[in-house]
Amino acid sequence: MTLLSWIYMSVVWTVILAVTGYCFYRIFTKGNNGSGR
Amino acid sequence: MSHRVHREGWATRFGLIMAMAGNAVGLGNFLRFPGKAMPYGGAFMVPYLLALCLLGIPLMWMEWTIGRHGGGYGHGSTPGMFDKLWRRRISKYIGIFGILLPAMVGIYYIYIESWALGYAWNTIAGTYWGKTSHGEMAEVFGKYLGIGSGPVTFSAEAYFFFLIAFCLNAVIMSLSISKGIEVVAKYAMPALFILGIILAGRVLTLPSIEGRSVTDGLAQIWRVDDWSVLLSSKVWIAATGQIFFTLSVGLGMVHSYASYLKKREDITLSGLAAVSTNEFVEVILGSTIAIPAAVLFFGVIQTKEIVAGGTFAIGFHALPVIFQQMPAGQFFGTCWFILLFLAGLTSSMAMFTPLLLFLEDELRIPRKKAAVGISVVVFILMQPVVLFMQHGVMDELDYWMGDFFLVVFGALEAVVFAWLFGMDRGWKEMHLGADLQVPGVFYYIMKYVTPVYAVVLVVWSAQDSVLDKLLMKGVAPENVPYLWLARAMILGMTAFLAWGIWHAWRSHPKFFEDTTLPGELP
Repeated sequence: MTLLSWIYMSVVWTVILAVTGYCFYRIFTKGNNGSGR
Repeated sequence: MSHRVHREGWATRFGLIMAMAGNAVGLGNFLRFPGKAMPYGGAFMVPYLLALCLLGIPLMWMEWTIGRHGGGYGHGSTPGMFDKLWRRRISKYIGIFGILLPAMVGIYYIYIESWALGYAWNTIAGTYWGKTSHGEMAEVFGKYLGIGSGPVTFSAEAYFFFLIAFCLNAVIMSLSISKGIEVVAKYAMPALFILGIILAGRVLTLPSIEGRSVTDGLAQIWRVDDWSVLLSSKVWIAATGQIFFTLSVGLGMVHSYASYLKKREDITLSGLAAVSTNEFVEVILGSTIAIPAAVLFFGVIQTKEIVAGGTFAIGFHALPVIFQQMPAGQFFGTCWFILLFLAGLTSSMAMFTPLLLFLEDELRIPRKKAAVGISVVVFILMQPVVLFMQHGVMDELDYWMGDFFLVVFGALEAVVFAWLFGMDRGWKEMHLGADLQVPGVFYYIMKYVTPVYAVVLVVWSAQDSVLDKLLMKGVAPENVPYLWLARAMILGMTAFLAWGIWHAWRSHPKFFEDTTLPGELP
């Protein structure tokens, strides 16, 4: 792995983890209400 | 008044997101993705990430929106949903794809899923222990499936595990959404994350072998040696096709799950959560397990040969060899195959939902009866896949249903949503009750870029291989009848669905003419 490859991989992983973390943080802090019509 | 107004929905939002993510996370995350990425190196990730942002995420939001919108009118499958989006006679027939594709993929997918279950058992029992070369494990795999010189591919062991996987899927399908799919997803998905993290942690901490380290394997996916591969349409087709496959967009399953949502229940944040969860499993866990482990034990050249040998070679031939050379290998090997099985199960249990809801909503068949009927028919259709596998029945179904028409349906729905339903209405509908305001740039992406990109991909894919596949170029003459059998299965199912639509719209036209707005049903 070159330095650039490490940076490339780290950036992509960080973005994915950040978006996933953000989504679940918002979902869990809003509540977990049931669905259904 | 819709007859489905009082139908139950998702019990919890967490359950919904786990079910949606489970629908997306499948065998492809751990086997197909590394196999597609490795031949191109880090350059593959450029079209992959572009397709994720320009096609995958927008299509996911579109499908959630179409599903919730159609569900409000009492439609749980795409014929009824498309009929409500675009009031033309043809629109409900376009929706056939959203039932046909997942059902036909499910017919072979459950069999593949059962291999993982069988191999989990064989790893616990240690039956293949001592077969320490890739070639020997390839023989073990062939024997497990019963591939021989005769016309029929059969082994009692593979068939036994196939029956278990099939029955499990049939039972889940027969239960209500909150007691079946949701319960399984709520337990299976966290278990899958834990197993994936355990395996990724184990691989990343393996010591070097003969000067090779796991980072040499990571480099096969992340190091860019040659940017010029981006000039070839092949890498774009492979990367974009992978986005469709991994997110399960263009299939009709997301629509059906979303049809259980209430009118003002969020879809933007939940949809993005499902996508990012899938990407976590695919890009982070999927790229960390199979290829780095294989490169460490076999070296780059042999790993490339293994990957070129097909999607399953790395998972079922190479990794079992590696587990045998690893401390506590039986434990990690079992984790690997259970991981694959859970990934498969959480996807396959969604595949017959559109057909089930079509029978329930449009043909008014009670759920239990519909589930039994589907199980019987699907079991019969699975027999050629299982018994004639070596003649290419599964590959034929996979190409047309899981490869080509999936992209065609994705392109059609992007055009219907953005241009025929109208992007302004679509954008408003998508943001009803939204917990996340989607950036305005996505309005233009969804209106212009996504439909054009999807149509270009259809044209590329057609130019790349459709004619050769259609004319069966390179197919051994003795296999030709079996491929026609696969095509007859596709055409038979299509004819049944077309008849079903014609019959349903003719039998109770008032239901389909219902102009009550979603959410306003009494």
